[in-house]
Amino acid sequence: MMRTRIVIGVLMAVPLVAVPPLLGLGWQNTLNSMLIASLFAAAFNLLMGQGGMLSFGHSAFYGVGAFAVLHVMKAAEAGFPFPTPLLPLVGGIAGLLLGAAAGFLATMRSGVYFSLVTLALAELLHALAPNWSGVFGGESGLSSMRMPWLGIDFGSPIEVYYLTLAWVAVSLALLYAYTCTPFGRLTLALRDNERRIRFMGFNAHATKTLVFSISGLFSGIAGGLLAISTETASYGILSSQVSAMVVIHTFVGGSTIFLGPVLGASLFTLFSFLMSEVTRAWLLYQGLIFVLVMLYAPKGLAGIFEAHWSNRGRLPWSRLAVPYAAALASSMLISGATTFAIQIIEQVFSSPYKAAALGTGVWPPVSVLGVSVLPASFITWLMIAAAFAAGIAGIIRTRPVIATLWADGSEGDAPAVRVPTSTAA
Amino acid sequence: MNTNADPVVLVLNDLQKSFGDLGIMRGVNLAVRRGERHAVIGPNGAGKSTLFNLISGALPPSGGSIRLNGRSIHGFAPERINRMGLARSFQITSVFGRMSALENLRIGVMARHGVRFDLFSPVKAKRRINDDAHALLERIKLRHRANVPAADLTYSEQRSLEIGMTLATGAEMILLDEPTAGMSREETAYMVELIREVTTDKTLMVVEHDMSVVFGLCDRISVLVYGTILATGTPDEIRASQPVRDAYLGTEAV
Repeated sequence: MMRTRIVIGVLMAVPLVAVPPLLGLGWQNTLNSMLIASLFAAAFNLLMGQGGMLSFGHSAFYGVGAFAVLHVMKAAEAGFPFPTPLLPLVGGIAGLLLGAAAGFLATMRSGVYFSLVTLALAELLHALAPNWSGVFGGESGLSSMRMPWLGIDFGSPIEVYYLTLAWVAVSLALLYAYTCTPFGRLTLALRDNERRIRFMGFNAHATKTLVFSISGLFSGIAGGLLAISTETASYGILSSQVSAMVVIHTFVGGSTIFLGPVLGASLFTLFSFLMSEVTRAWLLYQGLIFVLVMLYAPKGLAGIFEAHWSNRGRLPWSRLAVPYAAALASSMLISGATTFAIQIIEQVFSSPYKAAALGTGVWPPVSVLGVSVLPASFITWLMIAAAFAAGIAGIIRTRPVIATLWADGSEGDAPAVRVPTSTAA
Repeated sequence: MNTNADPVVLVLNDLQKSFGDLGIMRGVNLAVRRGERHAVIGPNGAGKSTLFNLISGALPPSGGSIRLNGRSIHGFAPERINRMGLARSFQITSVFGRMSALENLRIGVMARHGVRFDLFSPVKAKRRINDDAHALLERIKLRHRANVPAADLTYSEQRSLEIGMTLATGAEMILLDEPTAGMSREETAYMVELIREVTTDKTLMVVEHDMSVVFGLCDRISVLVYGTILATGTPDEIRASQPVRDAYLGTEAV
């Protein structure tokens, strides 16, 4: 097990160190954003996946980390000698302090009430920030410049990327180490049965407050890294959209597996980078993916990998190959049909198109994925509907086949996946 | 582990609990002696579970006193009462479902050794905690199930684990809430034997409906009826007591 984890770590680390210098600026910035989102999601999941507390207000700790770092950056600009590489620590401390205060209050309640208190606290901060220029820079926010330190000028994206990589790697290693400590094990027990830990001599409120604070600490580091990268922060970072984003990243990736949130955050950040250039409907696609994952793979993408990995010796891979290929083809038909439909509608409803169509009375063709299609043509919609129906039919046919092969191969259901349980001596 | 020479561990004096106008505990007087196995029996609704909830800190009493080893624990939080040496089990199995059987016990053993907020060493390196958890798993006869998630254990295995978790924190006074509820005759016999084995050096207080368990396991019995103790005595005394027969036991149970 330990060896597998080291191998995973090295496999992730080598390309992350070696490849970025060969990439363009856009990709370097995107990788930087992926790392920051990964750390934020992992910090969030300490509270959600391991502690069993679903926070709807994590933008508060992320944002406060960013603002704290910007204040120190401004001071550094004015002559205060603070080493640039240590700036994220300031964000972490800010996240920890706010986390301790907010956590103390929010963890007095459990379940839905806990979630609502976190939401309310973050919204409070979000409403306050634009009116408090001394701390949050008002509506325009704060901005500053990265100062050189020990000959490194932190001017280029690649330097910032390596700083982020180092902090994210160390933070993820610490978050993983956390799961192996006695308190890390207590966190899982708290998630499974809060009442019982009280009757076993543990103060549940203090335990929850500490878990919350540590989650705030690492969220603050992530926010600090964002501030260093963008050299700016405004009250938008405190919004509920940011809180919702980290929830979605975590659930799509899989909250029951340590690297699940990292996977979800990386993929979604990458997706938004690639798609936001192409279409304005990319948020709609993200939402669709989120809904589909929650409906059909509630343990997230990492949960799918984990189930295959832990049953790898038992599954009849050769017999699974054809149904898997058929399922993949069917999924692509469904996605393709959906994409065409969404893209046609998006373009038809854009103002230039509407103006042209209304002016001339004709519906000119639009271009989707390089294909020119007629939006008013019956044939276009018939083909989309046919592809969609064929995909659905394919899925309906292959699902029971795959399920049967799984039931034959694996003993019962895939085991409930969780953060390491085998640290028993 | 407790050098207190006082022969009485737990004393309840005029203990009261009411929910609104409804008096559930109406002046309970009870003393549990060190090392004895003390059963609390009574008809449904007599307040047996409420009594356990008051003693273990799940509910605050409305009046009267509770003393553990001579110190008042009136109104204390459950974790504080546990640290003072009293642990309880639950009628409805209350384990850490997604954690292994061994880890369920290890959490309790951590508490026994005062390891609560330790964030700076791997739990693997805690030799004594791991050794104690393994030893306890052995005592409750679940060694072969060490790495199975608690939720995947059979019902009677979960009940054994429930007892193990109650013992894990090292408390001297053990409260068991219907340890054989929902078990077959064989499982009940197994559980009684297990409880006898693992509580030899403990003081035991048990709520139970199965009279064979009560008369077979316990040294003394208190009969709780409508929030007061009707009688306390040895199994023979309780069997012979006319008021107890009238109020509760009937004739066929004896």
